[in-house]
Amino acid sequence: MSIPRPDGAPGAWFEDGFGITPELLRRVMSAALSKGGNDCDLYFEHAASTSVRLSDGKVNAAGTHVDLGMGVRVVVGDQVGFAFTEELTPAAMMAAAATAAEIAEHGDPRTVAAPVAVRVTDWSPVLEPWDQVDMATRVKMIRDWEQRAFARDSRIARVESSMADAAMVVMIVRPDGRLVEDWRPMTRGHITATAIVGEQRESSGANVAGRAGLEFYDSARQGRLVDQAIDRTVFLLDAGKPPAGEMPVVLAAGPSAILLHEAIGHGMEADFNRKGTSIYADKLNKRIADKDVVIVDDGTVPHTRGAVNVDDEGNAGQRTVLVEGGVLRTYMHDEISARHYGVAPTGSGRREGFRSPPIPRMRATIMENGPHDPQDIIRSVKRGIYCQTFSNGQVHIGGGDFAFYMKTGFLIEDGKLTRPIKDVNIIGNGPQALERIDMVGNDMIIDEGGWTCGKNGQSVPVSQGMPTVRVAKLNVGGMG
Amino acid sequence: MSKHTDSKHADSKHGLDSLLDLGQRVVSLARELGADQVRAGVGRGVSTELSRRDGHIEKAEKSRSLSVRASIMVDGRFSAHATSDLRPEALREFLGRAVEATRFLEPDLNRRLPDLETMGDADIDALDMRDASWDDLDPAYRQARCADLEDRVRAAGSDLKIRSVTTYAWDGSSDHVTVTSHGYQSAWRSTSFGGGAVISLEDEGGRLPEAYFTTGARHQADQLGPETIAKQVIEHGRHRLGGGPTASGRYAMLVENKVAGRILGTLIGPMHAEAIYEKRSCLDGKLGQRVANEALTIIDDPLLPRAAGSHPHDGDGMPARRRTLLDRGVLQEFLVDVYNGRRLGWEPTSGDVGNLIVPQGVRSPQAVLATLPQAIVVEGFLGGNTNPASGDFSFGVNGVLYQHGHAVRNISEMNISGNLFELLDRFSEACDDAWIWSTWRTPSLLFHDIQFSGS
Repeated sequence: MSIPRPDGAPGAWFEDGFGITPELLRRVMSAALSKGGNDCDLYFEHAASTSVRLSDGKVNAAGTHVDLGMGVRVVVGDQVGFAFTEELTPAAMMAAAATAAEIAEHGDPRTVAAPVAVRVTDWSPVLEPWDQVDMATRVKMIRDWEQRAFARDSRIARVESSMADAAMVVMIVRPDGRLVEDWRPMTRGHITATAIVGEQRESSGANVAGRAGLEFYDSARQGRLVDQAIDRTVFLLDAGKPPAGEMPVVLAAGPSAILLHEAIGHGMEADFNRKGTSIYADKLNKRIADKDVVIVDDGTVPHTRGAVNVDDEGNAGQRTVLVEGGVLRTYMHDEISARHYGVAPTGSGRREGFRSPPIPRMRATIMENGPHDPQDIIRSVKRGIYCQTFSNGQVHIGGGDFAFYMKTGFLIEDGKLTRPIKDVNIIGNGPQALERIDMVGNDMIIDEGGWTCGKNGQSVPVSQGMPTVRVAKLNVGGMG
Repeated sequence: MSKHTDSKHADSKHGLDSLLDLGQRVVSLARELGADQVRAGVGRGVSTELSRRDGHIEKAEKSRSLSVRASIMVDGRFSAHATSDLRPEALREFLGRAVEATRFLEPDLNRRLPDLETMGDADIDALDMRDASWDDLDPAYRQARCADLEDRVRAAGSDLKIRSVTTYAWDGSSDHVTVTSHGYQSAWRSTSFGGGAVISLEDEGGRLPEAYFTTGARHQADQLGPETIAKQVIEHGRHRLGGGPTASGRYAMLVENKVAGRILGTLIGPMHAEAIYEKRSCLDGKLGQRVANEALTIIDDPLLPRAAGSHPHDGDGMPARRRTLLDRGVLQEFLVDVYNGRRLGWEPTSGDVGNLIVPQGVRSPQAVLATLPQAIVVEGFLGGNTNPASGDFSFGVNGVLYQHGHAVRNISEMNISGNLFELLDRFSEACDDAWIWSTWRTPSLLFHDIQFSGS
């Protein structure tokens, strides 16, 4: 199940389909601001997704999901009143607006401008939209992945493959009259494999994800997905644990950017900073990293999972330079934090859906290229580890402690990759880790995996990219 | 905040008839459109959350939800669907497309509905999952609770440099309905109340460690008191100050009751029949074998009145029952749902767990620590993961290093690593402090000779 891309004027999807007229929008907005308030947003969402799964050699399960509703947020200073309805009737929307309005108890009603459509740049244009792709095409594709996976290595005993696609139409309306409509495609392909040799069994997999239609799955990407799933699984058969303790860590280009996300990115989300609870709260315009370090959070990288045409407050997606020449230049702002700091929003106000209010979030968080050859970085380490792939991470924002779980990698001995290693948690302190990045490679890759970030109970799709880097010292959860 | 009523939630205070009607309508419609078997689930929820930061309301949030799930079989083919767009014409179109999409799949008769005679409910009234006082909850209650808690947190931590205090209170009501095309139906209701506090402290080196404490209960009267919450969050905060790694090595590890479920949870994933069937379980072939020290017993009891994980039936509609998963170290039962049971040729035992209980021991954590020359008390985990196929695990930890019962330094930026079987074999004692405000109801747990990596 999918939603066709709206071909009418912005706002037409909800006006034609659900009777949400400009006059009704103005009434609901006026109700939300009837007791005053600095700001308000109405966020409408209509989303539909389809998934298919192969197991036991059969494509024997599928699912569809439809979400429809509207969230209304009223902001008074840094206070938020929020309510949502899954029923797009005037009565239900007015009731939700009245509930959200209660956060402002003593103010005068605000004047609300008539909605005027604003067009935004589409960073992820789709060639083959999912509403025109039949189930048979999806079924054939994941069956082909399974067959290629089995053919790649005789030690593979089981393969599960799946894919999901989604389309979402959102409409955001603001008190100044801005009305933005955005169409948001997404797809994700996934393979899980199990290898068995004697008594030993190992399971792993790979996935690819992006904002695109069927054209996302070109032959090269499908080949990478199959190869990565099988290579990562059979790699585990021969891998062991690294030694325990603090040591130099070389992070491979691409998925290693989970370090950026956990150790650094969350601490630069402005809500933690305006509250004074982030370890970066007093570090604006101060040096926090080596001069070779440039970090951006970018919503304009086409077709990435973290691409944002417009954020969920109606601000255009943009590229935000967080760290330049090692100096912290700005945070990622939503409207509340931008007002607090007296700066423009950075297009970082995102939400999981209409059931949640927006907060500052990452999009595609990227460390840009440095001057070093990746091989020189490996050669520079006497004894340490080289991290290739990861599964998850976590951070304590204020203390700065972070962790990420390395799934596969190598021991580095005398500047060479030697024994394969697996399944270790790596832990450190964000600002210290940033300071300890002392070599930055020239091979930046944006990982194409389906990363999802959780914060305040809300999940949003994100991307991340990084060149090979050396961190002089991190704590590796090995043995011995 | 006042309540409002709309047509989707018109009987939110008065029973479940309209939800059962909706479930029946979904079943009838799907059958009419070509489905052979249908299982419809209807969920309705109303919840409110208030948070207060440093003396001011930060966020007031109210949500109402109503959605439908439908699992359908069409010519022996299976698919599962969900929607919150319940307009009659939209629902019909949604189910019609679902039926048509299902025809493209391959048959899997293991997905058919469970036999009707295996389905049913435990005594819903005895579970006592709904607090009628929620219907008339005074909106001022949340504000008062948040303000009171903040005052108590600041008082308990008056000697600390507190950067920020956020307190929150939430409550809600959920209604659950299941209807099938072969005549099963179930309806039950529950409430939840909860709250907690998050503090941010000023520490050396510009660090701002945070600590949090959250609890919940089915009934308002069962909630943990604000004095206890304040004491706990401040104590955790003190243990985050000046923390750092200590030397790598093997230590006794006492995992605090509130977080012990995280470490024992590594055992639950591989118990599921799906993991066994898909050859991703390190417990495959170990039923009836000793997989942990004989000091460890784990009971699954979904029938505890008012408890967080209690439920009248599992996801297949099988009546909930108490069972022993691990008896003195011996694996007694896998978590077998109907579908994976059929794939494996095994009788289903239920794939869902309710309240997981580790029987408590006789010594307090303090008494245990006093007998140990050195031990690390783990109060929290950071990141980490488990390989369910091999049992290898690695987790970040924070807590306190004790020597002969005395706290000597706060610990952070450390990892524990090993293999699940090795870890469980090194379990030695459950303390007397069972924690009951979670689906994991465990006391603090002592393990010996655990690998910590630090400085």
